[in-house]
Order: sequence, then structure tokens, then C-alpha cells
Amino acid sequence: MSVASQDKKTIAVGRAAGTQVETRTHPAPGRHRLPRPRENSPRRLIPHTWALTARILRRWSRDPATVVQSLVFPAGFLVALDIVLGDGVEQVTGHSALYGSVPLVATVGATSGAIIGAVGLMRERSDGLLSRLWVLPIHRASGVMARLTADAIRIVVITTVVLGVGLMLGFRFKQGIGEAALWLFIPALFGVAFSSAVITLALYSSNTIVPQATEIICAMLFFFSTGFVPLDQFPSWIQPIVEHQPISYVIETMKGLSLGGPVLAPLVATLLCSAGIAALCAVPMAIGYRRASKRG
Amino acid sequence: MTDTTTAELTVRPTASTIQQWWVLTVRMLTPTLRNGELATQIVGSIVFTIGYYIPLKQIMGAAQGMSSYAQYLTPLIVLQAIWFAAVSAAFRSATDSVQGINRRFKAMPIASLTPLASRMSASMYRCCVALTVSVACGHVIGFRFHDGVVHAVGFCVLVLLIGAALAFIGDLIGVATQNPEATAPLMLVPQVTLGLASTGLQPVERFPEWIQPFVRNQPLSQFVYALQALAGDSTSAAPEVRWSVIGPALAWVAGMILISVGLHMRVSKRRP
Repeated sequence: MSVASQDKKTIAVGRAAGTQVETRTHPAPGRHRLPRPRENSPRRLIPHTWALTARILRRWSRDPATVVQSLVFPAGFLVALDIVLGDGVEQVTGHSALYGSVPLVATVGATSGAIIGAVGLMRERSDGLLSRLWVLPIHRASGVMARLTADAIRIVVITTVVLGVGLMLGFRFKQGIGEAALWLFIPALFGVAFSSAVITLALYSSNTIVPQATEIICAMLFFFSTGFVPLDQFPSWIQPIVEHQPISYVIETMKGLSLGGPVLAPLVATLLCSAGIAALCAVPMAIGYRRASKRG
Repeated sequence: MTDTTTAELTVRPTASTIQQWWVLTVRMLTPTLRNGELATQIVGSIVFTIGYYIPLKQIMGAAQGMSSYAQYLTPLIVLQAIWFAAVSAAFRSATDSVQGINRRFKAMPIASLTPLASRMSASMYRCCVALTVSVACGHVIGFRFHDGVVHAVGFCVLVLLIGAALAFIGDLIGVATQNPEATAPLMLVPQVTLGLASTGLQPVERFPEWIQPFVRNQPLSQFVYALQALAGDSTSAAPEVRWSVIGPALAWVAGMILISVGLHMRVSKRRP
């Protein structure tokens, strides 16, 4: 709706400026003669993406299941995790377990929320909303961009909520303000790449079981990460896998930014993982989205 | 001639409740083979087993007195698998409610409790699958029944009783919310928080002092105590099979069933 009004506004602006209409030798009446901005002009991308992003965010905020899974679940999970493992991990490592478990819970919230987004996308595909949007004068890329932007905003909100709970339990930033600000956006970095993978999977599957099965991958990444239990507590044969899986890199980066320690190496690894996943998914996702929009 | 045909058509076929129950149960069971529900159940149990056992073996294993951490942990793994079965039950009952098939059943010559009975039968099938898979997973990591056949059977019966209670609560949540997507988060929050804050992962003494009363007395811990007792151990560290150990678990099951039956009667009386 707001996209349409945006278009009207632009046309009205064009009419007010009116240069082209005035200079025509035979100014023919009718709307089709008005200068019309190309729907795929880069200038339209941001307002169109924002209108669609706001639509998705509004939908999520009004769906109780999404709110519970995104906000209540991570908060309760972090408290339970701290009660159970807090003392044990602190005895082994000498610092609070929260520096690992807060990033872990934020990242798990980010990855498991991607599944909600993918299931929603599949529903909109079968309802015909995607094909409806495809025939409107909207920037072609704004559909996919809006999904990813909405995911990024959702993840930053989850991270903030988890951080709030963590602060109550005793989590503190021991580095600077800049590090703290960067800390807040690390889960979103990996989370957006992960959701592009889940969205791609959803676009190529007809059954919601497929994206939901990625929950199992999330669970495995969660259990075998350095945020759950310190690395040296794992059996030695599995330590290399635990150390070099993406979520461990995310957690190590965030631990470095909050508690202190190496930041650059895990940050580069996180960036490489995210960029790798995104690069792998970009083209199939664009093709899949176009195909899904042209169905029916 | 036309008269006889009409007469024949108006005679209702005798409907056997057993047959109707069976038809409705098969209707719930066959999709589980195709839509991945059974596969998710099996893979989920395996993931939880290795996900708890491998990372926590060293950090928690030394803190408990039993012969192995597998022996200590398996009751919790079984309970988590049973809970997953209840989540599936909730999802199916919510789907049925929202798609109006329950309303349709009410308009048909079916006894009013038959649809519920068929849903519960399907839930018990899921519980049996969960029990089998999770005990098999436990066996792989080193869990054994040490106290003979009677206690092993008691273990299975208690698990199925808990499974029935949880499935009934799941069914209630599904009928009450009529929202299939909301059922999983609604049931996973208590599953994960109660599961972590129970004595299934580590003994109660290892928790912070202020939460110990809750951890000791919450239903999942009482179930864990009873199951650990029934499974037994090669050392004497497992709780003994006494009424003071098994009783609270049975009382929780009875209480859960009583309350959820009462609520279920209220909810299903609502006009759809």
C-alpha cells in the first residue's frame, strides 16, 4: 500500500517539476505521457526495500509465536544456561560463563529465527502475495533485500534483549564503547548470511519440513560451540571441528570485544564464513525468488 | 423400484466405534511416514544425545557418583524425546482445530470422544518411537538396565505414562490456541528451561543455592529421579526404588492429567 502511495508521490513531484511535459511539442493528455521513473532505478531501491521491510517487521511484531520465539525464548534460555553451566564453566576458565553464553544465545536466536522468516516466505508464495508484488512497479531486488534487512533488524533487537538479560546476570563490557557497539552487530553479520541460506533452501522446496530441518543444524552448531562449554572440555578428537565452526568464530569475536583477547583473527574468520555463505547463495536466491514470484 | 432404493439409502450403516477410532488413528499415523515427522523424531533424539553427552561428559561427568555419565544422563534424554513427541501432538491437534476437521467430526455420527481417542493413540505411537530411539541412543553411549526385567518394564511404563500426560497437555494447547505455528515455541520454552534446570544434567548440589529447592522439586527432576532409580546402576549411587522416589513422579503425572482433562473439557465445549 505504502509503495503505491510512494509512487503517486513521485509522479506528483514529477508533475510539479513538469519540465518534460511542458517542453513536448504536442503535449498529449493522459497519465501514460508523464515521466515515469524506472522501477529498477537504484534510487527506488532504498524506499521500496524499506516499505517492504516495515511490512515484514510489522507482521512479525503482531504474531505471538514469533515474539515468543524471538524474545522470550532467548531470555529464558540464557537464564537457564547460566544457572546450569555458569558455576562449572567459571571454575574451569576463571571468568564468567556469560562472555560465551550471551553471544551463543544471541546467535541461536538469530539462526532459529531465520526459519520463521523462511516459513513465512513459503506461505506468502503459496498465498500468491509474491506474484502480486511482482506485477507492481517495485524494484525487482527489493523483495529479497527487504527479507534480509528485516532479518538484520530482528537479530539486532534479539541481541539487545539478550544483552539486557546478560547485564542483569553480571555481563560487563571491559573494552571500549566502540567495541561494545561493534559487539552488537556481530550476530547480525553471520545471521543474515545464515538466513540467506535458509531462504534459498525454502525457495527451492515445496514442504516447510525442509527449512524446519535446518533447526537440527542449528542445534548441532549450538551444542558443539565454544560458548556452550570451553574448548578444552570437549573430547580431543572433536576439538578441531568445534574450534573452526562459524558460531565458535562469532562467539570468540564477541568474547574478544567484551572480555578482551584476540579479535582480529576470529573477526576475519567470521567475515569470511558469512561472505562465503552469502556468495554461495546470492545467485540461486535471486533466481529462486524470481521463479517463486512468477508462479501461479 | 425407486421406493426400495430410497429406503435402502436412508438406512444408516451401523457405525462401529472401534472401526471409526482405527480409521481416524490411521489418518494420523500414515502422514508421519511421509512428511518427515518420524524422521525428525529419530534425528532429534540422536542430536540431543550426542549434543548433551559429548560436550558435557567431562565438565559434568565427574560431579555425579554413578558408574558413567551415560547412565546418569539417559533419563533426561528419554524425557526430552517424549517432550518432542508431545510437541508433534500439539502441532497436529492445532492443525485439526484450525482446519475445521474437528467441527466436521462433530457433525458426523461419531462418538464425541473418538477423535480425541485417535489423537491420543497417535501420540502413544510417537511416544513408543521416542522411547525406543532414545533408549537405543542411550545404549550406544553406555546406558544399561541394571535391575532386572521388572524394573526395566517399570521404566518403560513410567515413560509412557509421562508421555501420555505431556501429549494430553500438548493436545490441550493445540485445541486451545488453534495456531499450529505457536505450539512449538510455547512448548519448547518450558522444555528447554525445565530440561536445563533439572537434576538430569547434574546433581542438585551443583546448582546455585537459591534455586536448589526449585530444581529438586520441579516435575522433570522428580521424573529423572524415578527413572534413574528404575534403571539402576552398577554402583549404589542410583536412587533406590521406593515409594518416596517413585511416588512424587506418579503424583505429578496424575496431577498433570487431572488438570489438563478438566481444562480440555472446558476448552472443547467452546463452540468452534
